[in-house]
Amino acid sequence: MTGTLVGAGVLFRFALRRDRLRLPVWLLAGGALVATQSTSNQTFYRTPESLAAYRASAGSNAASIAFSGPPVGLDTVAGTVAFEISSTLVLLTVLMAMFTTVRHTRADEESGRTELLRSTQVGRHAPLAAATLLSVLACGAMAVAIAAGAALTGLAVPGSVLLGAGTASVGLVFVGVTAVCAQLTGVTRGVYGLVGGLLGVAFVVRAVGDVTGNGLSWASPIGWAQATHPWSADRWWPLLLTLAATPLLLLTARRLLDRRDLGAGLLQPRPGAATAPRALSSPLGLAWRLHRAALLAWAMGVALLGFVYGGLAESVETLIGDNPDAQVFLGASSTADLVDAYLGVTFRVTALLVAGYAVSATCRARAEETSGRAEPVLTAGVSRTRWLGSHLTVALAGATTLLALGGLATGISRALVTGDAADVLRLTGAALAHAPGVWVVAGLAAALIGAAPSAAVPAAWSVFGLLLVVTMFAEPFDWPGWISDLSPFAQTPAVPAEAWAVAPLLVLGTLAGVLVAVGLAAFRRRDIETA
Amino acid sequence: MTAVISVSGLVKTFGRARALDGLDLEVRAGEVHGFLGPNGSGKSTTIRVLLGMLRPDAGHVQLLGGDPWRDAVALHRRLAYVPGDVTLWPTISGGEVIDLLSRLRGGTDARRRAELLERFDLDPRKKARTYSKGNRQKVALVAALASDVELLVLDEPTSGLDPIMEATFQACIHEARAEGRTVLLSSHVLAEAEALCDRLSIIRLGRTVQSGTLGELRTLTRTSVTAETVRPVDGLAGLPGVHGLVRSDGRVSFDVDGEHLDLAVRRLTEAGLRSLVSAPPTLEELFLRQYGDELTADDGGRAGSGPA
Repeated sequence: MTGTLVGAGVLFRFALRRDRLRLPVWLLAGGALVATQSTSNQTFYRTPESLAAYRASAGSNAASIAFSGPPVGLDTVAGTVAFEISSTLVLLTVLMAMFTTVRHTRADEESGRTELLRSTQVGRHAPLAAATLLSVLACGAMAVAIAAGAALTGLAVPGSVLLGAGTASVGLVFVGVTAVCAQLTGVTRGVYGLVGGLLGVAFVVRAVGDVTGNGLSWASPIGWAQATHPWSADRWWPLLLTLAATPLLLLTARRLLDRRDLGAGLLQPRPGAATAPRALSSPLGLAWRLHRAALLAWAMGVALLGFVYGGLAESVETLIGDNPDAQVFLGASSTADLVDAYLGVTFRVTALLVAGYAVSATCRARAEETSGRAEPVLTAGVSRTRWLGSHLTVALAGATTLLALGGLATGISRALVTGDAADVLRLTGAALAHAPGVWVVAGLAAALIGAAPSAAVPAAWSVFGLLLVVTMFAEPFDWPGWISDLSPFAQTPAVPAEAWAVAPLLVLGTLAGVLVAVGLAAFRRRDIETA
Repeated sequence: MTAVISVSGLVKTFGRARALDGLDLEVRAGEVHGFLGPNGSGKSTTIRVLLGMLRPDAGHVQLLGGDPWRDAVALHRRLAYVPGDVTLWPTISGGEVIDLLSRLRGGTDARRRAELLERFDLDPRKKARTYSKGNRQKVALVAALASDVELLVLDEPTSGLDPIMEATFQACIHEARAEGRTVLLSSHVLAEAEALCDRLSIIRLGRTVQSGTLGELRTLTRTSVTAETVRPVDGLAGLPGVHGLVRSDGRVSFDVDGEHLDLAVRRLTEAGLRSLVSAPPTLEELFLRQYGDELTADDGGRAGSGPA
């Protein structure tokens, strides 16, 4: 062991101990995902006819290819498992690789823990070596978990092992990518941004390549893994590409580490402004400044989702249009109604996601309070109501904008297909029907922050979690109607499939107003808490 | 002189913990008032009540002639606050924070801001994330000192500053006093309080145990002395103001009241001084010496009576 690696073993064992609960959760999720997909596909596609029908629909649907991967091996049940689950598994494994690597490199360095460790008998490269070793081994364990999940549910062993190995290989590449990015920027969140962006690029490149079939997928590590074609061709050689790329990336990270100071990144942070812009003169200006980056990221995500939803409407037309059973199930009499029913459901999903934004933005106020950043503002001539109201204004207006944006994106991509420009306005309006429901969720979070501050954040997220569960499971599992009726989104008319109903929207809007008022009033009456 | 801050019998509890237990405090207009006490004695809690962040459970609190809870916003326009643990927004630069806080208080004086940045040697372009503790404190200090306010409330404002910046800070406080501002300065550094404060209040366990001018309190200050001498020292025990004398192996150590230090050291010199270490007592030591009897007699809780 050379001098710069002294202590890597100790650090590795320490990192393993710190992650002894986190890593098993990731691995369990991977194994469980495969096992669930495998069992359900073996039930759904029992007959050759059902398999053939699936092959015809999914295998020729550009949207599902764009999300899942190359439509190969769809003549066996195992092949459908690989097709449907591999991109989700890749996502899971890459996230695990990224979070684990960052946690033990840049995050420790930013918090000053690395400096404390390096002041002892620990070599320069030891923290990076320990972190990457842990992440690499975690990817290996993920391969085992996935292989076990598939093989234990009755799929052929070689294909199971190949699916696991292929997925893990993308994880390995991203351990390298993360290790490099962690040298570039000195800010933990910046590393997440860089790696997330590269993952997005890898995903899009692969999607375009798979849809067009022009070989572009070979430019993406996700494409390499999916080129193994588990359970059909069972090819191992594409994994050689990842085995070559990973060490190259890790060596690059090591060389970059040698060229920077501890705590710094290679990219110099841009200096800030010496004086504040005019906009930063009020609590509202400050709230906007604090929220805008997150809102922008949400806006991009929601717009992208809207485009995809709008684009998929076309395949809903062709897929379900010929299927009378599905038409009866959706309660639609014509193809146009079917598309509207589908769009009504997608807007409800978008609204649920936007409610997540509303909760996180509202809870930001509480984080400002407990971190001690509310006090400087509250002791500078700003009233409690104005301060909390500023955060709520941004949260409510931001959520409403997101809904409009989702509807607009859906409308535009739908109008590109139908050629009917009226769809743009019609669908933007339809998405906005969910605004009062989202305000209720935000209002509830605000009321909790005012009246039950120490429980507010977990309680608000629990409510959001319950909404997710109710929306996802109430109908398929035939839960009693009153349970799903508790969700504000069940009270919202599913425009455009249903007609606009003003009364429930007024009720929801009023309820939201009352909740916000309760939150503001209670916040004025209590102590400001700092952690 | 009128009182800018007037607190009596202030009680604040957090669950079962009694953070303030009948605290009294009076700060007069135009004075620099030191608010001293060990960690956890209730200094920050008192200040947060004075700022209307916490609601008192009992007692009378008046600040600048108003009720800090009810009239918070109006009162805050007339004061500036520097918290002990300055947390800033990581992505906003120091200069932007200074401008924001000044504008919220009703306007900036560009010349004064520039002068303070220069004196505190602070780069306003850096994002708050990259500031050290001391630099974050400087941001809050510049924002407070640049404001045209009647009252400065400073909660351990110098705990992260280097000695040069400490001197700059002290100069700024002298200037603020000369301009007629009132300053409430919480600290647990006796030397800083001695250099700056006209009057002091010392609190312990949520109660005021001593209050008065520096001269009144200085009689409480004892210096610890440890010395090694060539010959045994004679007659130390009989000297006035010498306490807790211990001899071992040619070394003596004792505590001596400030006014009698000179005589005690002269006695040491006569015995041939080899080495001498002298240190003023920490605040905690002062408390333990002064109030130890009452503490043990009353189960560690209810020290002292009102202001001396």
